[in-house]
Amino acid sequence: MLEFDGLRKSFGANQVLDGVSFAVRPGSMFGFCGSNGAGKTTTMRIAMGLARAEAGEVRWHGRPLDQQVRRRIGYMPEERGLYPKMKVGEQITYFARLHGMDAGAAGRASAEWTERLGLGARRGDAVEKLSLGNQQRVQLAAALVSRPEVLILDEPFSGLDPVGVDSLAEALLGQVREGVPVVFSSHQLDLVERLCDSVGILARGRIVAAGTVEELRAAESGRLLRVVVPEAPPGWAGGVPGARVVSEQAGDTLLELAPGTDDQAVLAAALRTGRVTHFAWREPTLVELFRGAVADPRTEDAEVAA
Amino acid sequence: MTPEKTPGSTELVRLVAGREISTRLRDRNFIISLVVTVLLLVGLMGFQVAVSSGGDEGRLGVVGDATQIGPAIVAQGEAAGVDVTVVELDDEAAARQAVEDEDVDGALLDADGSQPQLLVQERDSTMEAVVNGAVSGVAISSQLAAAGVEVTEVPQVEVTSLEGDDGNEQERVLTAIIAISLLYGLLIMFGQFVAQGVVEEKASRVVELLLATMRPWQLLAGKIIGLGVLGLAQIVLIGAISIVGALAFDVVDVPGDLISTVVSAILWFVFGYALYASLFAVAASLVSRQEDLGSVLTPTMLALIVGFFIAIQGATDPSSTLAVVTSYIPGLSPLVMPVRQAAGDVALWEVALAVVLMLVAIVAAVRIGGRVYAGALLRTGGRTKLREALAAERA
Repeated sequence: MLEFDGLRKSFGANQVLDGVSFAVRPGSMFGFCGSNGAGKTTTMRIAMGLARAEAGEVRWHGRPLDQQVRRRIGYMPEERGLYPKMKVGEQITYFARLHGMDAGAAGRASAEWTERLGLGARRGDAVEKLSLGNQQRVQLAAALVSRPEVLILDEPFSGLDPVGVDSLAEALLGQVREGVPVVFSSHQLDLVERLCDSVGILARGRIVAAGTVEELRAAESGRLLRVVVPEAPPGWAGGVPGARVVSEQAGDTLLELAPGTDDQAVLAAALRTGRVTHFAWREPTLVELFRGAVADPRTEDAEVAA
Repeated sequence: MTPEKTPGSTELVRLVAGREISTRLRDRNFIISLVVTVLLLVGLMGFQVAVSSGGDEGRLGVVGDATQIGPAIVAQGEAAGVDVTVVELDDEAAARQAVEDEDVDGALLDADGSQPQLLVQERDSTMEAVVNGAVSGVAISSQLAAAGVEVTEVPQVEVTSLEGDDGNEQERVLTAIIAISLLYGLLIMFGQFVAQGVVEEKASRVVELLLATMRPWQLLAGKIIGLGVLGLAQIVLIGAISIVGALAFDVVDVPGDLISTVVSAILWFVFGYALYASLFAVAASLVSRQEDLGSVLTPTMLALIVGFFIAIQGATDPSSTLAVVTSYIPGLSPLVMPVRQAAGDVALWEVALAVVLMLVAIVAAVRIGGRVYAGALLRTGGRTKLREALAAERA
């Protein structure tokens, strides 16, 4: 298990992290979501020893991360960083060696990863001569080349075209299949929903929701009801106790029900307006879950253990 | 999963140093500057040779027995600053032939007789004066001997130079100035390399990736040691070339002085580099762009420039109070002390004291500087204040 346990961190008066805890199983992908400035990058930098937590720790296999363990972690910082004038192949070899590979193994791994990421022909070029997308691939190669036990990637998909997204996703899934826990942050929630086994949403310095996408849905479902009543007058649901109108457009109504509200009472009210063409619980998308979790302070109670 | 062992500090420092060296060795500008320095040095020695050997050698033919007149001509030549070689010739015909063939610069006929004659291709006043002096000297002493006068007691003029042993002195001053200029140039150059390297890593943000695998001090040590090895190799190379060249061209009279100056320059390079590289690295870690480098390097650069000018001034007057005092001050001592050492009036304890003070300064620079560097490395954007960096060490 890769465990983030009770991380706290403040910059001056600004409490950025206020007890961030979550865990990632080996061979699973964890999507780390949160608004800009929520503290995702700070959390990852604490894990990599680039920032110091005021409290809490990050553990791998129950052992707090130190310099030795960190060399077995592949890391991609939010601010991409490579030596601009160094050649692609040499640069990746260098990072492999910094992670503890001997010269021979590092050279072979560098050749292998440049080939796998489609950089074979550019191995002898200086990094600054590459397109941004290709530089991103070099960055990924630098994170993967040492066969890391853990991957921590800050916004790995940002700035990639759809083809680049697919090949990166493929590479990450390959790592997961080999048993590597992967943590990555992203604003592309559809991607997170598609790739991740579990998701954590960071807001106000805490993980306000964490678990598999299904678990999050289960916690949220039973709350959003879609009713289509073509003949109903506007505001037909206003009188139903416990129901709040989220949206209403020509009878297509989205209702949020308070816990304990009888959905059959809503159906009865709908039938009184005339024909009911659609009546069903609606599965929230991750985007809706995210909005709810980030915006609504009440969702702090809805935390689900991962 | 990973059969690789975790690299230790030494291994990491070695890796960083290795990267620095291989990057610089492939840097065209660096290679060009090295070649230019060596060429300048060789050119300088060639110039010395040309200046010191220009036209003060001569061959003079003497017809007949030269046992008496020969040494007299050589002695007169020495007094006039000409290195004369005397050649014995058989007769007048051979003498004319030798002069025409330019085998000799002149030929003296009938040296002992009443009508001595000098055959030359073109008139040469120095040669004439030398021959005249020698012939009249020999004639006077043989006439005196014939008259029964003893000439054993000819007073010798003793020469006392008010400027000391002027020939060797000048040579020492010149050697010291060249050595100091090289030392200064190399300190500036390698200090700049360190500073540029630090900013490059900050500007490109690669430092975040590096610090995920190593501690700031390991990165700093690798960088300073790597470039230091390169700088040391360069100054040793230059030193070796100057010693070999000077001996081969016979430029210096006292090779021992040259060698000891070169050795002390190399030693002081090591101390000076250790201090200045740390200071440059720390200053550079405060900024995030190459454009801002100039402003943070200025104070350290000024110290170097001041040291350089005191050293140049001290080369002509090594015992001045200014030179003596500054030769102990850490940071100035690497430039001033070698000059005093070259002048040869420094006691061993003085050098030892300067070295100890310098070591104290280096330790302080590395310890405090290391903290500033660690605190400032990850603060990108704008310029970090010293105080902030100290407070924020890895916060």
